[in-house]
Amino acid sequence: MTIEDAVRRATALDGVLLTRIGDFTLEAPHKVFSSIRAYLIRRADETCVENNPWASLKFTTASKGVWLIAIGPTIDDGDTPDHFHFDSGARLSFGLTLQDDGNRSRLVSFRYQYNLPNGKSPSFLRFDLNRALHENPLTEPLCHLHPGLEKVRLPLFLHHPLEILDRIFFVVDKNL
Amino acid sequence: MPEFSIQSSVDIARRLEIRGPDSRSWILLLPSLSGGDSARIGLVADLSALLQRDVRLFDLKNTSSEHLVEALNQPNDDVAVLFANVSPEPKLWSSLDVMRSALERKGPVIFWLPADCVAGLSEHAPNIRSFIGGSIYIVGGDGGLMTAEDRQKRLGELTKRYGLTNEEIVQRAESKTLSSEPHFIEWLVLLGRGDLV
Repeated sequence: MTIEDAVRRATALDGVLLTRIGDFTLEAPHKVFSSIRAYLIRRADETCVENNPWASLKFTTASKGVWLIAIGPTIDDGDTPDHFHFDSGARLSFGLTLQDDGNRSRLVSFRYQYNLPNGKSPSFLRFDLNRALHENPLTEPLCHLHPGLEKVRLPLFLHHPLEILDRIFFVVDKNL
Repeated sequence: MPEFSIQSSVDIARRLEIRGPDSRSWILLLPSLSGGDSARIGLVADLSALLQRDVRLFDLKNTSSEHLVEALNQPNDDVAVLFANVSPEPKLWSSLDVMRSALERKGPVIFWLPADCVAGLSEHAPNIRSFIGGSIYIVGGDGGLMTAEDRQKRLGELTKRYGLTNEEIVQRAESKTLSSEPHFIEWLVLLGRGDLV
């Protein structure tokens, strides 16, 4: 019933998640990129507001086969043309990093920042996957959701890049 | 290659989508000068993702017309990409041309050939060239690759937000004191330091 017990439970939860992530693989990075781009193109077809994922979704690679796939700015400091815009007035930016593993890839980290329209509360949702376990998994679980509060992180079990987008496009944005 | 329009792989997928799944389309794609194997790989991934259909690749250098006829009909409704990095031998074109009817299928047949193959195709496989008609495009576009300017802009955003230099980030990563939050992982990737991720 103490905070130490809570930390112990959170540590166990992160241990389970870490194993799941270790066992979880995606398609090769270039295929993940194409899948996300195709997904966003489909969503752009459904919005009245103009979006151009072909131009705004980007990737880059680093040594050791690490990829970054991103749309919108790295730091969300307000609306930009590179965000994905929703008819609701919300906007989305994200960045995910992958480790190339032959014909497959592994998730390294991600951040999806969905900013709700002005006047809505909370002001944003951010889905984060950190690279490694934090020393205090209670306050910073490995995979977490910020419900509009930078210092509040609630644990998540979503892994596939499209799963996060599914929730944003088909659950959150549809219910504003 | 001025007479052919430049299309992205998404544009190509859109065309096929409009024509329908059983369109029996024949298309000739010419990689742009900056293309090559990576452009072909990107095309296949984009077509597969956008059309949600299997895409099979056939290297014209390592196949016979008899094998192609059999393979293109088993199955006959996926997307077949017939590629060559250098111009196929006239003999292969002629053989394919003779068997053109047997090559017809429900799904699209996409030729991916260097631009200098067009003359050989027209000369030695006039019937296939007729099937293709005006559906010849140069596949272009940057394919989403970040430019150096893109990366610098993102690095500038990170520097401004966290008040740290790129050098400090590398030092922290090397000393294993860098936060593992996504922004810092991206920072390392933008610096090209996948070895420190």
